[in-house]
Amino acid sequence: MDDELRRGFYRQMVRIRTYEEAIRADYHADKTPAWDIGAGLIPGEMHLSAGQEPVAVGLCAHLTADDGLTAPHRPHHLALAKGVDMRKMTAEIYGRETGLSHGKGGHMHLFDPSQHFSCSGIIAEGIPVAVGQALAFHRRGTTNIAVAVAGEGAANQGAFHESLNLASLWKLPVVFVIEDNDWAISVARTASTSVPSNATRAAAYGVAGERVEGNDVEAVYQAAGRAVARARAGEGPTLLEVHTVRLWGHFEGDAQAYRGDELAVAESHDPIPAYEAKLRADGVLDDATVEAVRAEAATEVADAIAFAKSSPEPSPASAYQHVFV
Amino acid sequence: MSVEITFPALGKDPDQQGVVATWLVRDGEPVTAGQVIAEVAVDKVSVDVEAPAAGTVRLLVPEEGVATPGTVIARIE
Amino acid sequence: MTVTDQPAAASATRRLTTAKAISEAIAQEMERDPDVFVMGEDVAAYGGIFGSTTGLLDQFGPTRIIDTPISETGFIGAGIGAAVEGMRPVVELMFVDFFGVCMDQIYNHMAKIHYESGGHVTVPMVLMTAVGGGYSDGAQHSQCLWGTFAHLPGLKVVVPSNPYDAKGLMTAAIRDDNPVLYMFHKGVMGLPWMAKNPRSIGPVPAESYEVPIGKAAVARPGRDVTVVSLSLSLQHCLDVADELVGEGLEAEVIDLRSVVPLDRGAILESVGRTGKIVVVDEDYRSFGLSGEIAATIAESDPGLLRAPFTRVAYPDVPVPYARPLEYEVLPTHRRIREAIVSVAGR
Repeated sequence: MDDELRRGFYRQMVRIRTYEEAIRADYHADKTPAWDIGAGLIPGEMHLSAGQEPVAVGLCAHLTADDGLTAPHRPHHLALAKGVDMRKMTAEIYGRETGLSHGKGGHMHLFDPSQHFSCSGIIAEGIPVAVGQALAFHRRGTTNIAVAVAGEGAANQGAFHESLNLASLWKLPVVFVIEDNDWAISVARTASTSVPSNATRAAAYGVAGERVEGNDVEAVYQAAGRAVARARAGEGPTLLEVHTVRLWGHFEGDAQAYRGDELAVAESHDPIPAYEAKLRADGVLDDATVEAVRAEAATEVADAIAFAKSSPEPSPASAYQHVFV
Repeated sequence: MSVEITFPALGKDPDQQGVVATWLVRDGEPVTAGQVIAEVAVDKVSVDVEAPAAGTVRLLVPEEGVATPGTVIARIE
Repeated sequence: MTVTDQPAAASATRRLTTAKAISEAIAQEMERDPDVFVMGEDVAAYGGIFGSTTGLLDQFGPTRIIDTPISETGFIGAGIGAAVEGMRPVVELMFVDFFGVCMDQIYNHMAKIHYESGGHVTVPMVLMTAVGGGYSDGAQHSQCLWGTFAHLPGLKVVVPSNPYDAKGLMTAAIRDDNPVLYMFHKGVMGLPWMAKNPRSIGPVPAESYEVPIGKAAVARPGRDVTVVSLSLSLQHCLDVADELVGEGLEAEVIDLRSVVPLDRGAILESVGRTGKIVVVDEDYRSFGLSGEIAATIAESDPGLLRAPFTRVAYPDVPVPYARPLEYEVLPTHRRIREAIVSVAGR
């Protein structure tokens, strides 16, 4: 694999992690010690993607701005890897006028039409929407594809099954990506899913299925490449499941007592230091490059947050706008 | 003879501040041994605090008041 | 009309949060009746995302407190099936906003089986769910929606505003042979991680008791204006009513407690005395609960009102995320106060 490509993967993953760490810090900063979920700079729920960077990065390397992507309630890594503008996304998370939705959507409802990107807080409900985007692309005769990303918990929701059947039946250019991070809030995959791998469910719908182990960005890249190529060639959908890791809680503030000893094990499998070590061993990264990557990420993230914080809040009267066109 | 009730250690960090999120009794009320008198929290982890003995409870920290593990938050007289 | 069922202080010095009152009711019914069990997402080890089942797994174990996959149609349907076979499931829909993925099971099956069977089949099931906003959870996690469910015949809808009613209504709901939708506002649960009104903690008898479904309560008697509300808004109405006493205004605050059956008699009796009404409803304004109350008065005797029917409701917009936007549209203290003062002055 090309060195520059691999450095690019590392850079993007560091960019995402730097972002999530900064959001996490600001999210908590003004909520302790008397925790109030509705208080502070970033109120409400927050679902961060630390550990799942390889999925977003390996996948989005194959996507253009014109390809569609629907993401779940844990969307930041996917939005950033897809190419959503970091400043506008951040302003939305901070509830500002300059945000993607002028403060109406918040962190679970990020919409960027220029990237054909959206996310939803209802489990699995972005999957049929991606199928619809694929339907439009197909009818228009383009080579654009749509990707639906959801968690392993979502694979037990009706919308998942209907979507696979429909996309297969109509041979639509869609890729279904399942991020299996082993946990649906507090429920382990073994307690929710009747089969060891969702990739095997693909057979039930006549689509190609593949599971990637090891949470490795390059393995995701290879598998996603196959799926994306299949879709662009008009050969129909793929169900791609990636076994990844949720390093932090389901939401910020989740004490994760239910994970027991597994949490420490998960934390020892952080994909970014592991990939860095691999690239260093291969001579693709050195101290200077690593430092430069981190500095660049820190600068970009700090700028986006400063933009958000210096942006005005939306006027209360705007609450009544945009119900209808 | 009074019995002190201290803020429990909830997180990994023994110095991490928490709060007495909810007092379930009022100052000066009679309580029984084992009665849940408060809900305390560190971040989103919360636990019930029980009265270790029967008696009259004195509340020493206000509701949503900050405390660290070991702080005396109430007394049973 | 029922004056408040709150117990005498002596028998209820023990105070609980609404969340604990709910889990206590479930626990006591489970002790009494082996056919009662709980199903839902994160109800076991986690104790329910909003604390409704805290402690139950330790007490009853995983065969009676059951974590489900994210399969609402599947497990709500399974609850229905267990209920028609005589069990008494308490099923949790994590957020009412998720009803979209499972509405057929709720309104075409749970609500209609008894009727469609000519009364031969019963569905003694409780579907409990978290509702409400005010903490920036956005359009898909902040709705109330009792109006939507109340509109569809065949299911009872109860909405407690305080710990005492929460326990009594849950007990009544479990014992009721009809399907009951039990809607608890996250803001009344008394959770340690969400800003709370002190009325979310209150005296709750240790013994088992029922609060009758379909009966409103006069939370605060008064003579000047009838204020009808429920859930978290009821707590806000009481706060405002307390303030207004100082200005010589005595509001009568009625806590509906149930939306179906709706205690129309209680509303009419109060309005018959005051001639003035403000309905405070965190559900969407149009085509819902507040309109139903207006219709009830108009159908009974439009002459009852000496001032126009007034409602403080959520406008017909999705719930916005940013705090200034959300607090513009919520039925806040300020809006409630303005409405009551305005109506009282006419």
